[in-house]
Amino acid sequence: MLIYILKRLGLALIVALTVSVIAFALLRASGDIATALAGEGATPESIAVIRQTYGLDRPIPVQYLSWLWDVARGDFGQSYFFRTDVAGLIFGKIGNTLILGAASLAIALALSIPLGVLAAIYSGSIIDRAVTMFSLMGQALPSFFLALALIMVFAINLRMFPASGADSWRNFVLPALTLGYYITPPFMRLVRAGMIDALNTDYVRTARAKGLPARRVVFKHALRNALVPVVGLVAVQLGLLMGGSVVVESIFALDGLGYLAYQSISYRDFPVLQGVVLLLSLAYVVLTLLSDIINAWLDPRLRAA
Amino acid sequence: MTIAISKPSRLLRNPSLVVGLAIIAAMLFVAIFAPLLAPHDPYMQDITRRAVPPVWYEKGTWDNILGTDQLGRDYLSRLIYGARVSLLIGFSVVAISGVIGTTLGLLAGYFGGRVDTFVTFIVTVRLAMPVILVALAVVALFGGSIWVVIAVLGLLKWDRFAVVVRSTTQQIRALDYIASARTAGASTAWVLLREVLPNIAPQLIVIATIEVASAILMEAALSFLGLGVQPPLPSWGLMISEAKSYMFFSFWLIAIPGTALATLVFAINLAGDGLRDLITPERS
Amino acid sequence: MIRSLLLSAGFAALCSGAAHAQAADNTLRFAYNQTLESPNPYFTTLRLGVIVGRNVWDTLVARGEDGAFQPLLATEWTWADDTTLDLTLREGVTFHDGSALDADDVVETLTYVSTPANGIVSQQIAGWIASVEKTGPLSVRIKAKAPTPAAMEYLSTQLAIFPAGYFTGPQGQTQTALPVGTGPYRIDSYAPGGELRLARNEAYFEGSPKAGASIDTVSIRIVPDIQTQLADLMSGGIDLVMGLPRDMADQLGMMPGVSVVSGETMRIVFLQMNTTETGPEALKDVRVRQAINHAIDRKAISENLVGTGSTVIDAICFAGQFGCTQDVTSYDFDPEKAKALLAEAGVSGLTVSLAAYRERHISEAIINYLADVGIGVNLQFMQPAAMRDAMRAHQVDMMQNAWGAYSMFDASATAPTYFGGMPDDNNGDPELKALFDEAGVTMDGEKRKELYAEGFARIADQAYAVPMFTLPIYYAGTEGLSFETHPDEILRFWEMSWN
Repeated sequence: MLIYILKRLGLALIVALTVSVIAFALLRASGDIATALAGEGATPESIAVIRQTYGLDRPIPVQYLSWLWDVARGDFGQSYFFRTDVAGLIFGKIGNTLILGAASLAIALALSIPLGVLAAIYSGSIIDRAVTMFSLMGQALPSFFLALALIMVFAINLRMFPASGADSWRNFVLPALTLGYYITPPFMRLVRAGMIDALNTDYVRTARAKGLPARRVVFKHALRNALVPVVGLVAVQLGLLMGGSVVVESIFALDGLGYLAYQSISYRDFPVLQGVVLLLSLAYVVLTLLSDIINAWLDPRLRAA
Repeated sequence: MTIAISKPSRLLRNPSLVVGLAIIAAMLFVAIFAPLLAPHDPYMQDITRRAVPPVWYEKGTWDNILGTDQLGRDYLSRLIYGARVSLLIGFSVVAISGVIGTTLGLLAGYFGGRVDTFVTFIVTVRLAMPVILVALAVVALFGGSIWVVIAVLGLLKWDRFAVVVRSTTQQIRALDYIASARTAGASTAWVLLREVLPNIAPQLIVIATIEVASAILMEAALSFLGLGVQPPLPSWGLMISEAKSYMFFSFWLIAIPGTALATLVFAINLAGDGLRDLITPERS
Repeated sequence: MIRSLLLSAGFAALCSGAAHAQAADNTLRFAYNQTLESPNPYFTTLRLGVIVGRNVWDTLVARGEDGAFQPLLATEWTWADDTTLDLTLREGVTFHDGSALDADDVVETLTYVSTPANGIVSQQIAGWIASVEKTGPLSVRIKAKAPTPAAMEYLSTQLAIFPAGYFTGPQGQTQTALPVGTGPYRIDSYAPGGELRLARNEAYFEGSPKAGASIDTVSIRIVPDIQTQLADLMSGGIDLVMGLPRDMADQLGMMPGVSVVSGETMRIVFLQMNTTETGPEALKDVRVRQAINHAIDRKAISENLVGTGSTVIDAICFAGQFGCTQDVTSYDFDPEKAKALLAEAGVSGLTVSLAAYRERHISEAIINYLADVGIGVNLQFMQPAAMRDAMRAHQVDMMQNAWGAYSMFDASATAPTYFGGMPDDNNGDPELKALFDEAGVTMDGEKRKELYAEGFARIADQAYAVPMFTLPIYYAGTEGLSFETHPDEILRFWEMSWN
């Protein structure tokens, strides 16, 4: 088990590094940062000075390695735009994004598990069809459109929740609903499919045949098996969550990581973007690894794979 | 595909597929014949007649059935031309990503071993990249246009193809007739293209539909953020973005393109769902 | 031009709860749609930066509503000769950190900002200063490089005084956690890209024209989308927004609980054209530039998209600025003539890039007008800082500017910036540079006016730009908030109060 984890950990690190190399190359390919940074009254000399201060005069691989070395020591560099420490900037915003992500995930699970189970138990019935339609509609509704509609209804007409900010839990309700609804369909499909499979296993059939109460069979035995793949999906959904949070955070003016990333793209603030991309890819590989470990622990047969 | 054609009765018994395909066909028709169907030039602005409401409102007129936008352009005409943008992007992206993903998946699934390890690694790297951020950054750095959007999304969205094709190919590879074809001396390319590919076609079509829908939504999101298709080209996402500051007083300005977008994506997903049921009937 | 506003109480029972709650804790919540790079006014060109600068810092002198200069940090000033200004500082002024203002603070600040290597964003506001010396504990002498007619404008608007020792390196580097000034508000907290919180400066000096602040706390948040700002305004989460599009302002004015105020401003919209070597060949032909001028219906955009308070301009300056004349060649809306000019120049199928950072609906209207005469436009809508960089690197063909001239009532804040060889100049016309350089150092008012007039006439004849119109500004506030608007678009938090 330990060797398995170590092997996967090494792979995860290589994946995150590859992503950061690609991101670095893409950003540096896009033009002369020094000229842009020099700003007004930039003489060739002052551009040269800036190039030297930021180390932009060195070959790109050298720049990358020195960036990586700094990152390894916890130094993500300086933001070109805000002229402050990138690590501090990210640290200041990550809290809001984590709250938003956790709340959205909670909403998605709270919606998808009961609906998925219901659809599986009454597979093929009108309930199943309704749940499927709901999930298809969730996939079809663009998150930015849903966000605007929620603002219209809950902020303007009902005045129940604020449309922007991050001061209290009330500020997170509308963004979390938008994002939660957006990521619900894939979970629902997985729970439904997993439940149908689980209900058809010999084990559950035997339990039923033995006359165990249907409710107990469903909740104690089938659901537990059906939820195993859901753990894995949580990691995969992180990417989707992040993509959604760029849009959602900017509409709801939620001062988080997604909006910071979007801003840093508009401002060509590469050190910030670089930091966010590295953080996200690391989060992805670590979460996938965790979910694999949990799955392996739940189901020893997977360990061999 | 062969399954769908050979069993028309089953096709008809699948309402999801029929409804989904019907909507897609209607939208395709509108997109192809846009110049004939659009009542006005979608780019013609009349800034003295701005934000005229649709005909069912009190102030609406039959001249602009869906009203006019914030620059006085006919909204119905823009909506019709917008279908072109969405469908063009959806299908082009999938054409690119489908080829990349299928090739990688076929190679990994068929050869296994080091090739498989390598492809799996690339897929993991791709999954670890935050797609929307990378797409936004590339479009911001290299300029926004419909072709940049297609290229970026096409180069990013092949992961699902690769994953599914890989595992399906692995299963098919073990089957008897592939083995017999190989022992009969058929070339690898022949086996892959003539034996393996047709057998994974049903799964490919299902993924393709899901991916078309997802690409359309992504383009809309990029355009909404101002980093996708550039004005004055009518993209539904861009239309929502341009109209969003009018939404409190002219909600239809975002509701109309929003509904069109949701309907198209819904129809594609519905068709994809129906296709899936057709291919794996035991699931439904 | 100044309209006072007392938002009447009465209807809007729905919204009054929120408004009263804010009135009770005496906080003003203000939303702005663009991210502030830095709360230090020397390192941002954003309007919000100018607003923060004016509320948190003081300049040496102030400019009254009548245009006359008034004492602020300096109580007296005299020009010893054309290039030497002696100032006496006020006694008993303290910075927000408690230290007392003296000559060293002024010398250090002005020396820092006038040193090009320190890289303040707008070099011309301090570039005229040759040296600053201390002539006593509370007196300083500023030497100008050449006679500078606009010196008092710069000293009264942009040159905020920081405490000595604040700056520790170029590009605004500092060891101090939060920026420190002497103004009626101090910076209480700042999260980059997030909230900027101002608190009333209890120790603000009596006798300042900016004294008497009533609101305790001002919370400034960045809310990028206007419809989100409005949603919060209508539901009581925000008290004040500025810069609304005209249509929204019109309709919002009919909503209960919210009041809309409009005001004329000195902000002008114009399209610059890049005729440097990086610009497209076609734009180097004056006929093509004239064609572009003829292709755009400025009057229609001004009347329909911008609305009341917008005036079409022909010269790239605001009529109220010293040296501005609108008596130059004017190009009427005539698409046929535009097409003829393009044909004459042998140009067809031209596509240009257009950079813009605000008023996107105006950009879209322009794109459509240009499309009608066969010019394709590739819109690059970007953040202000990115646009500034692209402009200064001459990376785009056309640029849509909305220039507020740093609220300075002098043509020197407009003409040289865009046409006189400064970094934003995309034409590099040596004749214009010579004219504006000379105007910048001519003390004789009449002579100066002539030089500017000649310059503006040349810009128009050469059609280097498309002059558009002035932009009115629309503010919206919740009921119970009392505030005044000014043509310089600077919110004076110290004048505002809750009823």
